[in-house]
Amino acid sequence: MSLYEGAVKKPIMTTLCFVAVMILGLFSLSKLPVDLYPDIDTNTIMVITTYPGASASDIENNVTRPLENTLNSVEHLKHITSQSRENTSVITLEFEYGNDIEVITNDVRDKLGMVSSMLPDESNTPIIFKFSTDMIPIVILSVQADESQNALYKILDDNVANPLARIDGVGTVSISGAPEREINVYMDARKMEAYGIPVETVTQIIAQENKNVPGGSFDVGNNTYALRVEGEFKDPQQMLNIIVGTHNGAPVYLRDIARVVDGVQERAQKAYNDGKQGAMIVVQKQTGANSVQIAQDVKKMLPTLQKQLPSDVKLGVITDTSDNILNTIDSLVETILYAILFVVLVVFVFLGRWRATVIICITIPMSLIASFIYLFVADGSLNMISLSCLSIAIGNVVDDAIVVLENVTTHIERGSDPKQAAVHGTNEVAISVVASTLTMIAVFFPLTMVTGMSGVLFKQLGWMMCVIMTISTISALTFTPMMCSRLLRLQKKQSKLFLMLFTPIQKALDRLDLWYAARLDWGVRHRKTILFSCIGLFVLSLGCCSGIQSEFFPANDSGRVGIKLELPVGTRVEEAERLSMELTDKWRARYGKDMEAINFKVGQASDDDTYSSLSDNGSHIIDFNISMVPSNEREKGLEQICDEMRADLAQYPEFVKTDVMLGGGHGGMGGQSMASFEIYGYDFDATDRVAQQLKSELEKVDGIGQVNISRSDYQPEYQVDFDREKLALHGLNLTTAATYLRNRINGATASYYREDGDEYDIKVRYEPNQRQSIEALENVMIYNAAGQGVRVKDVGTVVERFSPPTIERKDRERIVTVDAVLSGKALSEGVAAGNAIIEKMDLPQGIMVKVAGSYEDQQDSNKDLGTLAVLILILVFIVMAAQFESMTYPFIIMFSIPFAFSGVILALFLSDTPLSVMSMLGGIMLIGIVVKNGIVLIDYILLCRERGMGIIRSVITAGRSRLRPVLMTTLTTILGMVPMAVGQGVGAEMWRPLGVAVIGGLTVSTVLTLILVPVAYCMFAGNGVFFNRRKLKKQRALNDYYLKHKDKMTRVKASGKIHHGHEQES
Amino acid sequence: MKSIMITFDQAYNERIVELLDRLNCRGFTRWEQVQGRGTKKGEPHYGSHAWPSMCSAIMTVVDDHKVQPLLDKLHEMDQETEMLGLRAFVWNVEQSI
Repeated sequence: MSLYEGAVKKPIMTTLCFVAVMILGLFSLSKLPVDLYPDIDTNTIMVITTYPGASASDIENNVTRPLENTLNSVEHLKHITSQSRENTSVITLEFEYGNDIEVITNDVRDKLGMVSSMLPDESNTPIIFKFSTDMIPIVILSVQADESQNALYKILDDNVANPLARIDGVGTVSISGAPEREINVYMDARKMEAYGIPVETVTQIIAQENKNVPGGSFDVGNNTYALRVEGEFKDPQQMLNIIVGTHNGAPVYLRDIARVVDGVQERAQKAYNDGKQGAMIVVQKQTGANSVQIAQDVKKMLPTLQKQLPSDVKLGVITDTSDNILNTIDSLVETILYAILFVVLVVFVFLGRWRATVIICITIPMSLIASFIYLFVADGSLNMISLSCLSIAIGNVVDDAIVVLENVTTHIERGSDPKQAAVHGTNEVAISVVASTLTMIAVFFPLTMVTGMSGVLFKQLGWMMCVIMTISTISALTFTPMMCSRLLRLQKKQSKLFLMLFTPIQKALDRLDLWYAARLDWGVRHRKTILFSCIGLFVLSLGCCSGIQSEFFPANDSGRVGIKLELPVGTRVEEAERLSMELTDKWRARYGKDMEAINFKVGQASDDDTYSSLSDNGSHIIDFNISMVPSNEREKGLEQICDEMRADLAQYPEFVKTDVMLGGGHGGMGGQSMASFEIYGYDFDATDRVAQQLKSELEKVDGIGQVNISRSDYQPEYQVDFDREKLALHGLNLTTAATYLRNRINGATASYYREDGDEYDIKVRYEPNQRQSIEALENVMIYNAAGQGVRVKDVGTVVERFSPPTIERKDRERIVTVDAVLSGKALSEGVAAGNAIIEKMDLPQGIMVKVAGSYEDQQDSNKDLGTLAVLILILVFIVMAAQFESMTYPFIIMFSIPFAFSGVILALFLSDTPLSVMSMLGGIMLIGIVVKNGIVLIDYILLCRERGMGIIRSVITAGRSRLRPVLMTTLTTILGMVPMAVGQGVGAEMWRPLGVAVIGGLTVSTVLTLILVPVAYCMFAGNGVFFNRRKLKKQRALNDYYLKHKDKMTRVKASGKIHHGHEQES
Repeated sequence: MKSIMITFDQAYNERIVELLDRLNCRGFTRWEQVQGRGTKKGEPHYGSHAWPSMCSAIMTVVDDHKVQPLLDKLHEMDQETEMLGLRAFVWNVEQSI
């Protein structure tokens, strides 16, 4: 019993099997996490080595280089970049995608073990640090506060950060912008000197006074008591009464030489939200946790948290990555629903029977839902790729069912019983259904083998499509015949409504058939005209190629903008605040309701704010975080907004560096594309000059929003040069002297003040106004072991110096990167503009400029996709050749593929869409979809020929009879993609190129397939007949000759003598 | 005793066995998936790419009086769905065991 016979005979089993699959699928769907992209594995490892006291170039020579040389031999390494700055060397290893990062980490560890003996003795052991997308904050909350500002850190830490950190999956919660409480002991420098009491003594005494000491236990009578001395301060002001020394026999109290301020940290970041001071709370997730889920949980918790806060503290959301993801996914789901609707309509119009439509359309949800099981098993997520894949599949999954249903209907119309018709009808087409699925799999399976960045995207798509296609074929061979046997009847009478509705459609379709047959008839008689005009069209479309721009990945309008501004080093934080407020007011006035939140932070981040301290910070650096309403609710695109902001920033000469980042950050997918130029060269001055020149030239180019140079300027700083001899004369050493300086300016942490289970630093240092000048530094008194004091200016000099910038290296060479952020210009154009500039430049010797960044990724993925296309073509050819058992027919069918590409090119050209990975993906899928049409046509032409028709008649008969199925499958695919191509929802810009490419390619190639494939068949078949005839004629001549000369040729005579004839002849 | 050889499109399979049951013709021999084509209009049934459909054949040996009703019913069936194809041939049974 065959598969379909079994299915028809056991309808309950068949139905329940599919119901089970559906239930499993829906179960998986409920468990699937939602994300924007498929999981991208970490491919970066950082090696951080500290070497205290070494300058950038020392670090480069002694630490970075030996490490680089060894690490360079780790397998799968793509690039090795490093930053050598004072005290620290950071080496970043970037690996090829798709390798097990754990194995690589072990390799790196082994290599580090080998090299550690070559590092300087004082350097610390290198630390391995894996960087991943998990470090990107998923939710940023804003806090506005008035009178609670001073206590804000504690309030937020207790009432917000701790509860949030308890949410499943939340990694770290950091609070920035709210300074922590600190007990400051401000010493008066002059009084200290007068009493001869240094900061160090005060620090020690405070530490010794502020202690609880257990005294053990002692017995009194029958009882045992514990003994304790509680010396910890109950109130910071108690400190004023401790005695810190004696002067002329009289005790010196702390209050005589210092004041105690129960305040906040001196240097801390400040955060402003919508122009009001407050704080920021940054939530990062744990590795592998689902960001949308966490973001939702965090948001759900906010109202409860808000209730526990003082009335002036208000929580808000600055950035919520889940909003954009959910909106994008929602609009994609909407797209899918529209696609299903369109496909159902097409099927209904073409088949004209609701029962048939129901049977076919049941296959759609079934195959799609089944693919969720795959996603669940493979740890996938509902993301842009997997959902686009569903959208693409909708048009294709019905194809198999349509073929089966059509044939079953034919059988029923011929008089078979529906049950028999279902079995035999399916049996007849089973092989071709399987073959056409195999061609699709031949296209999609190789996608699972792509490596690199695009591999991450394509792997999931490839597997999903393979699963969906397989399920749809199985369903077409079991479920569809079963449904046919139950639902289909011989139509004996048609209702009036049906006649009214469908007569015009039927008539139109009939006329179309006739019209097409007539055109085809003309075409096969004018083969050369057709052939040359097709070639002409192809060449024309190639001409349009030059008008198409290219980019790596379309920018995603996530509604987020990140801005990083740098003022000259040393600018006071108040100035930075003033400028930021000015910008905030300006932008709030301009964007009004479009702007959901604007937040900025300035100042030095504290040590325990992990999030802020990872990024650059300082009193001169301003970080903006802006979020706009979703893209479909505002008129201006994010790119335009970014450009406007850049123009505003250009008006401020105060800023040394400005960087407006679309999407909140650089790198990765979905940001604005950047043309990166890497300048390799050892000489700082020469590379700096080249970078500056390139920057100024690039800034002149139209469509380039901003240009950033990676190397920062030399930073001014003050250094104290101690004279070692003088120090020694005074019985001091360098470390002691330097520590004295540090304790007075930066402060020394004496002890901790404890209150309500929390502890706060007690910091001892000079009064603020006594450490604001160089004289103050010079007058710092240093005491030696004998208690004799000497001033800094007597043992050293304070000088202003410029510290060298960070030394960046890539692939073991010094490098400067110039990044040009493109707005309104495609990546290819930006790179071309840059290359033109570089060509004109007179590069000094030993300096090389290379294009890198996303252009490099794009080139890599183009190469991958090119190889892939060839692989797919070969596989598709093999499948078709196997099906037709011929090498010629697949060749004829493949004639339509070039026109699919010309269709893609024309569509991109006309809609002004750049060529991106997404549109190329569309192009590759077309190979499979396009040949399907050809297969249908050629298959029927062959059938007609086998039934004894002549070439031209077969072609026309087949064309006429197959026009509708071809149009139907094409229309289902095209209309399935229309919602993608014209979608206006959030994130639509990401998949629009895919839709445009498929629609363009499929339309052009279908029209041409319908004409060119029959014509090409005629040409090949005509030649075939001609050659066959010639062969036959030759054979006949040979036969005649043989019969005539049989006696001479045959060695075996009737008499049986051997070699006789031969002898006679000779 | 007459033997009737019925050849038909395999879609008739069940209906013909049903018919034999109805007319009390118990014994029969059936060949499934056989090939053939009609003399005049009958489409070839080869199970090939060009002619994918297949025939079945049934040989039944019945008493003489059952022959006519069976042939009538078969003829009726054939006329109802001409496109499938159904033929029956009758010949004598000389001996049997």
